[in-house]
Amino acid sequence: MSLESNGLGAVEFVGFKNYYALANDERYFKSICNSLIYTLASVVLIVPMSLWLAHLLQSTFRRLRPMLTFGLLLPALTPPSVLATLFLMVFHGREGLLNQLFIIPIGLAPINWLKDPNFILLGLVLQTVWRWTGFMTFFIMAGMEGIPKAYYEAAKLATSSRWDHFIHITLPQLRSVLIFVSIYLLVDGFSLFSGAFILLGGSGGTADAGLLTISYVFQKTRFFEYGSAAAISVSLLPLMLLSLYTIILLRRRYI
Amino acid sequence: MKNIDSAKSGFLRRSVSTLLLVPFLLAVLYPFLWMVFGIFKTNHEFFQPLRIWPMKPLNGEYWMKLADTFFPNELSMRNIHELVIGKWVPFWDVLLNSMLSSFGQAIGAVALSAMTGYAFARLKFHWKNIYFVIVLALILVPRQLFAVPLFSWLNTLGLNDSIFGIILPGVITGLGVIYFTQVFRKIPVEYSQVARTCGASEFRVFLTLLSLIWPAILSYGMIHFVLAWHEHLLPMLVLSTESQQTLPIALAKLYDVSQRTPQGVQMAASTFSLIPTALLFALCHRKFKSSLSDMLVH
Repeated sequence: MSLESNGLGAVEFVGFKNYYALANDERYFKSICNSLIYTLASVVLIVPMSLWLAHLLQSTFRRLRPMLTFGLLLPALTPPSVLATLFLMVFHGREGLLNQLFIIPIGLAPINWLKDPNFILLGLVLQTVWRWTGFMTFFIMAGMEGIPKAYYEAAKLATSSRWDHFIHITLPQLRSVLIFVSIYLLVDGFSLFSGAFILLGGSGGTADAGLLTISYVFQKTRFFEYGSAAAISVSLLPLMLLSLYTIILLRRRYI
Repeated sequence: MKNIDSAKSGFLRRSVSTLLLVPFLLAVLYPFLWMVFGIFKTNHEFFQPLRIWPMKPLNGEYWMKLADTFFPNELSMRNIHELVIGKWVPFWDVLLNSMLSSFGQAIGAVALSAMTGYAFARLKFHWKNIYFVIVLALILVPRQLFAVPLFSWLNTLGLNDSIFGIILPGVITGLGVIYFTQVFRKIPVEYSQVARTCGASEFRVFLTLLSLIWPAILSYGMIHFVLAWHEHLLPMLVLSTESQQTLPIALAKLYDVSQRTPQGVQMAASTFSLIPTALLFALCHRKFKSSLSDMLVH
């Protein structure tokens, strides 16, 4: 399909023409770049944060724990399109929550989060962090509860520093969970569509600063450029294969 | 003496960590509260900005004003009513479609990936490793990238604009296969050997093992239900008639500026779309967590 011409009706075989067009398409490279930044940023922010949260949850009162966990889980259960509307409120140019609570008090001019090309991507990243941290906390907590208590009791004989316990027992025991969580975030980051679609109306926003790969594919299909859309999909294959290889290596080594 | 001491410090530690969690919880829950209160507001009330600055914590009037903008003035059911009678979108049709397709996807995915997982965990066949790599690739490649070819396939199959066109691709999942492979690996081999010596066929052995792993089945079914409930791109391409569509698409339509839907109706629809998944998780999240912690470590 990626080798066929665009448009509805009769399609003809055009060889690699769609790929040539792609190689000269600045927006294509921009969208891939944006997707990469977005995905990496979300992994780097979410994983440590949810580790910390899971640790905090572990040490709260037993009675409160289910309620607190459920509260944190709520964003992950909400359809992404709903989240995006809620975020329209948070990111609003002047009266939005982020501006009201953080930016104005510091004494800066309010930031127009969804229009200013410097901040669109940051806004999208904040949205993912807000959305997935609770869910990942849940996974990590489940993993922490599976670690045998005996390990900690043995470690107490050697050292009483909680930090040492964390580094030498919790982290190594959790590595399969952490790998799973990171993979999940990577895949989800690359396939983010719904949230960006509602926040930015399916385009890349001002100056394409928030153009993600999937939104770009969608734009192409909207104008019936099915050939180009398929070409974008195929062109991502090497990237996917690379990450697949990394995961297989990781599995061999650690799991 | 020492025991009492450690109990005391334990209480302190617990309180401190609870307090540390509170800001996070507020950040998470605030938009949801705002959404629920939004149901009862008129458009005019809805767009009243919350003016926190300049902050006057000692001024009673300041707090009154804040509360006034945050809470609705009256509990009017008008917005809910408009949504339910289908003034803007055929709400009940859409909800039913979403339910059907998500349940269908969850059940189909569990059945298919449990069988595949059993095969990967227990049976020997040619090129098993290669198949496994393909399954891994299925996880990694976002499904949305295949939306266009999938759409043209569904057209050829004649499943265009029907709910089966959503369920059929939704049944295939790499994550589920890996999950069930891991689950079946945990069961001692002796169980299936006993079943086999009693003369059970391979399929019978599989069915017997299923009764052992029902918590895993439940939890994966739940995850898949949530994922299916959120699916946006494929239903948008496949379903074109309004009464055939699923909830996320109807929501997107409600949010569309050109429709001029009252904000309260939008908020009501959003709240209702959250209820099924939240309820599901609230009911079984403990079971879910224990089956996850069994599986994730080791």
